[in-house]
Amino acid sequence: MCDFGELGAWLCAEGTWTGQYGLGNLLVEHLLLSVVALLVAALIAIPLGIYIGHTGRGSFLVIGLGSLSRAIPTMGLLFALVLLLGVQFRELSVVLALALIALPPLIAGAYSGVTTIAPGIRDSATAQGMTTWQLVRHVELPLASPSLIGGFRIAFIQVVSTVVLAPLVGLGGLGFGIIQGLALRNFVQVTVSAVVIIVITIAGEQLIGLGQRRAEARLVAPKRLEKP
Amino acid sequence: MDWFIANASFIGGLAATHLSISVGPIIVGALLAILLARVIPRRFVNPTRTVLGAIYAIPSLALFVALPALIGTSYIGPTNVVIALTLYVITSMYFSARDAFGQVPLATMTTSRALGMNSRQLFVHVELPLAVPGLIAGLRVASASTISIATIGAVVGVRDLGYLFLDGFQRKIPEEIISGIVAVCVIALALDAGLWLIGRLMTPWRNARVNRV
Repeated sequence: MCDFGELGAWLCAEGTWTGQYGLGNLLVEHLLLSVVALLVAALIAIPLGIYIGHTGRGSFLVIGLGSLSRAIPTMGLLFALVLLLGVQFRELSVVLALALIALPPLIAGAYSGVTTIAPGIRDSATAQGMTTWQLVRHVELPLASPSLIGGFRIAFIQVVSTVVLAPLVGLGGLGFGIIQGLALRNFVQVTVSAVVIIVITIAGEQLIGLGQRRAEARLVAPKRLEKP
Repeated sequence: MDWFIANASFIGGLAATHLSISVGPIIVGALLAILLARVIPRRFVNPTRTVLGAIYAIPSLALFVALPALIGTSYIGPTNVVIALTLYVITSMYFSARDAFGQVPLATMTTSRALGMNSRQLFVHVELPLAVPGLIAGLRVASASTISIATIGAVVGVRDLGYLFLDGFQRKIPEEIISGIVAVCVIALALDAGLWLIGRLMTPWRNARVNRV
């Protein structure tokens, strides 16, 4: 296989798969950075979004943040944070920047999921004697879940597209193959890295989309109940 | 602030490049999205959604450097960036264009038909004007994200506002990076305001005062 031109040579080269900058290590770092950032952001954003949606307090913040966050270039945010917090804390600053990028879509998803619930549903839950916590836990959270997962999907896309830039601030991740390949004019490495990133991202996006469709399907009333 | 003033003309040049590579994709992408929304039959909606959703998810840098292997362009330079940005505009605007046309009331369409309009007249004089609010809303989202994504083109050698991030990081000048962020936001917000205004001007009946009897 190693005879098949540049591609074969690169695939068989030492350091392509193993070692600090091998594909294995870069993949782990890529996933670790994205997942940690998304988890940190979700822990803050989901309760906050549900709180704002539930109480209606600060909804102007969600709308303003939503439109501003699309305009802010994520690459600039990443570079500015790493530079301002100091390059010795680059892991922390990259995770912080990625989490900041994930916050607005996550908050917006949770918020709009809660606010679009029909008022009658909420009123009847209260009329049955549900406490606020029960209302949130058993009514609002399940009904908001498709929109919440939709927000998570946008956050995932934004985070993954920024984590590809992490090598520019001295970290690893799958973008390393692109950045190094462009610098060394090794375009086989560039293309293979891009393909790996594309495959992993689409797989993740489709997985989240599947989760969203299942959450939606769970909310549809079973057919046999529709007609008495 | 001092850095920004001292380098204003340099930033202006980068901003001009930035606009020149993003405006084309916004316009062409929007037209293609409207075209796709009109021509794709209903039964292909779900497969189209899956494909466009997947393209939308691809990280921009990966898409920039994957295109040369597919279509034989050069790895460095603006061509891939322009093509990729157009693809992103199509993927993000297709759904809002579909919704915008879907929200035109059926009664309005049948009335216009009964008045003797042909399909072309129906589209130009009824469907398109009534879809304008939805189309403009989708275009505003697409244009803001296009201006912001275009910065990543700097990594593949396009000297747009993203260059301030690369250069500012290498030379350790936070002011340069922040100037870049502010410039990108200002351009995005200006385009957004412009599109909002165009939407208002194109739908004069929406702001007209109704004289109640």
